[in-house]
Order: sequence, then structure tokens, then C-alpha cells
Amino acid sequence: MTPRPYMDGARAGIALGLVLLASFVLAGRGIGASGAFAVAAAPVAGAVTPGSVAGSTALSDRLPREFVPWNDWIVLELLGVLVGAGISARLSGRWRAATNDRTAGRVSRALAGGALMGLGARLAWGCTSGLALSGGALLSTGAWLFIPLAFGTAILVTMLARDPSLGT
Amino acid sequence: MLDHVHPAVTAIPIGIAFGIILERSGLGDPRVIAGQLIGRNFTVVRVMFGAIVTAMLGLAWASAAGLVDMGSIAMPPTDLPAQALGAVVFGGGFALAALCPGTACVAASSGRRDGLAAVAGMFAGTALTPAIWPALAGFVAEVPTENATLASDLGVPTGLVVLLITIAAVLAMILGRGLETRASVGSLLRLSTPESVALALAAAFALVDARSTLPAGRTGAIAAEIAHEHDHVDALELATWIREGRAGLRVVDVREHLDTATYLIPGAVPVDLEDLDTLRVRDSEQVVLYSDGGAHAAQAWVLLRVRGIRNALVLKDGMAAWEDEVLSPLPPATPDDSATVRFARARALSMWFGGFPRLVPVDGAPVTRSRRRRTC
Repeated sequence: MTPRPYMDGARAGIALGLVLLASFVLAGRGIGASGAFAVAAAPVAGAVTPGSVAGSTALSDRLPREFVPWNDWIVLELLGVLVGAGISARLSGRWRAATNDRTAGRVSRALAGGALMGLGARLAWGCTSGLALSGGALLSTGAWLFIPLAFGTAILVTMLARDPSLGT
Repeated sequence: MLDHVHPAVTAIPIGIAFGIILERSGLGDPRVIAGQLIGRNFTVVRVMFGAIVTAMLGLAWASAAGLVDMGSIAMPPTDLPAQALGAVVFGGGFALAALCPGTACVAASSGRRDGLAAVAGMFAGTALTPAIWPALAGFVAEVPTENATLASDLGVPTGLVVLLITIAAVLAMILGRGLETRASVGSLLRLSTPESVALALAAAFALVDARSTLPAGRTGAIAAEIAHEHDHVDALELATWIREGRAGLRVVDVREHLDTATYLIPGAVPVDLEDLDTLRVRDSEQVVLYSDGGAHAAQAWVLLRVRGIRNALVLKDGMAAWEDEVLSPLPPATPDDSATVRFARARALSMWFGGFPRLVPVDGAPVTRSRRRRTC
């Protein structure tokens, strides 16, 4: 099956905005992604560097141990993302359709990039979803500092470290 | 809000919808994100700004209509130095992976190996954060600021922020069309229907918000100012300001039933509480409000603050404190250096204002403070 073309960005944006609005109204919070990694990684983080998490409020607030993943909103939401994206990819013919996703360069960039995003999101209290998108819609000051700085840095790094497998 | 049900009831459907939209729009494909970062493909801007503006305008109008209580919605905290550093680290990782945490999950769910690698990297980076933390501690506040918004931090109405963000989003969409198509300026400036609707809704909200007396989301910031005690001045400090002839000082007496025989703090002007609604205050002025005990003055302060007047302070403990601390200051019971210096300063001020400093007890009998009238 040939992959179907992508949806128009502006229409996708409006649809995503309505989902975000539903989340604000029904769940009393915005959507997110890195928060689920924080909940899931917190026990591991505590095991890797014992004592350090408990010793700092700033750190223990960022890597909360008190949440049970299967009862935690953000973990369940990210499971929903995995399911929804998986179904959508299969229905639109994009499941394993990519050919540029497995070179050593691409995989190592993704791994290193993921690690930096993990650290950056803990420092910043969120990522492009929980902070930029949800916080942006709530006019959060921190979110509107994060948006230009994160995208500005990303543009600069893309220019300096081009990735031929992505056509940059 | 559905807070009496298991979190899965809202989390899973919302997550599924989020995942489908990200996958359909192409944000799970690193080529699309890399294309945005080199300015060739504006999908990320369209999805993100489209979503931010849609949700923002939806919330603005829902709260203006009383359908949503903004105070019940959890907001990310603000800690600007930590978030600036975090944004730079995150931005570097975002560029390398050409995926963000959410879209990395979408890529992984689409069977992409780089998506899986980014998810594994996210997990590792999050779990290893404590190992790097000691080097970052200087950037991080132990307790971040809750509920900081652009409106409260910049001191501008929420409606204006909403309008400016909407305009910025529309300009970003126009820039995207320009860079993608190289079309003529005239055709670029032709707005799409959603763009026109968003601008109209934002402009109308800005007007409604400017007219309303208590715009949504602004009371939290005022409460924070009160909690941090940025809102008052003590009697000795005010006396010093008056004596120094501080420029722009405007002392306002909001006590009720004043007559010509009532003692006012020198230079103070009586203003009825009802007239505060129309009191004109210039930015260069420093208003100080007082009443008998301080309660009425504090209420007057909130009225002015809600009107957007930020340069007002309350005289702490009101006229009672002025009488006790400025007009008849009490010598310290156990004189130590700082108390003695403070009393000397108070006595000098008292004399200047024509008051009667109480004397140092000679027979050791305790001199009690005059009982303060704790009225409004």
C-alpha cells in the first residue's frame, strides 16, 4: 500500500487545538509527553543515583516517585498516543514504510537527541507538548520563553549539523 | 471537569486523538520536522500555532462566558533561568533527533527505528538527569513560580496578549506560505477563513476583556503579590518618605466619616471608597492607602490593582500604626543596638511630625503600648 499524503497542517492544528481544549475542560490539564517519561523513569533515576533525588525538592518535583504509572493521567495519555499513532500509521499505509530510519547515523542522532531532550525537558518543566503547546495556550510565561529559545537553538543546530538522510 | 472518574477515562481517548493527529499531519516523520527547522516546510508551525491559537481562543471565550474556571486548569510552572537552559538543551536534542518527545512516540508507533531510538534516548536522558543535576543547580529555583502568565508578569490585559499571539501566529502562517511557494506578496496576505475567524475572535475578546472589571486569570497574580507582601509599607518608612518630600508620593485616606477636625497624615487627601473606581493615577506616582486598622485600605488596594493600577501600597496597620510608631513611639523595653537606633530614628520623625515620643521608663515600670483600635 502506498502511503497516503499527510493532512493539511492548519487543519491538523485546529483539530489538535480542539483536543487540547477538551483536555483542559474535561481533565483540567493540558496534553503532554515528557511528563510520562518522568513518571516512568523516576524509579530508575532513584536507583542510578541514590539519595540525589530525595535531596532536592527541585529534582524530586521533576522526577515524581509518588505516581503509579497505570493510574497516572500523563502515562495513560501517552499510551493513548502510541495506540492512536499506531492505528493511524497502519490505516494510512505508513507502518514500517520509511526507508531512511535505520542508518547508524540516523539512529545514533535520534538516541543522542532523545537523551538531550530528556534532560532539557526535566530542566524546563516540559517539552514541546506539555510546555510549549499546553503552556502556550494558557499564556504561561515559561512556555513563551521556551518556544523561541528551543526553536531558535534547534534551527541553529540543524544548520550546523546537517543530516543528509533527512535532506538537510 | 471529570475529576470523579479514573484518569484513564479522559487520558486514553485524548491520547489516542493526539496520536492520530500527530501521525496524520506528518509530525512523526523526521523529514517534516527537519524541513521546518531549515525553513522549507511549515507543517510544525501550522500544527503548533494552529493548536495554540484554537485552544487559547476556546478557553478565552469559554472563561469569559463563565463556562470554564481558569483556576481549575493546571498550568506548567515558571522558572525562567532553568527553562532557558532547558530550552537550549532541548532544542539541541530536538534538532539532532528531528523528533520531539511526543512525535518520537508517534515515529516509534509507525515502526521507525529512529523513533524507537529517540524514545530510548528520552528515557535514558530523563533517568540520568540526577547524575548531571549538581552541575545545574545554580540555574534552578528550588520552588518555581506557579501560574505565572504573560499578562500578569508584563502587567497587560489578558485580551491584549491573546490578540498579539493570534497576530503572531497569522504572520507565521503567512511567512510559511511565502517561503514554501514564493508567491506574490498580494496573494500571501490573503487570509484563509480560519485565520480571519481567529483574528476576529481574538480582537473581540480583547475588547470584552478590556471592558470587564475582573478579567479571567488575573486574580491569581494579585493574590501572589499580596502573599509576597509586595503590597505594603510600614509607618516609619512612610514618615521618612513624607519628610524627604519623595517625588510623586500621594497619600490617600480612605477612612469613612471624616470631618474637618479629623487628624490626617500630613499631605494626605481623603477619597471615598466609592470614588476609587474613577480615581486617576499617573504612572509616576506612588500611592499609599491608609485606613484606621488597614482592612479598608487593603480592600481599596485590591480595587485599584484590579483596575490595573500597580503603583499603590497599603500603610501596614493603618492609622493605628502611624499613631503608635510615628506620633508616639515607644522606647524599646530591652535596649539593644538596633532597637535603640530605630527608636532614635522614630523619635526624630515624631518630633518632626509634631508627635510626642514616650519617655524611657525610670522606675522600671513597664510602659505598655496604647491599645490599638482595630477597626476598618
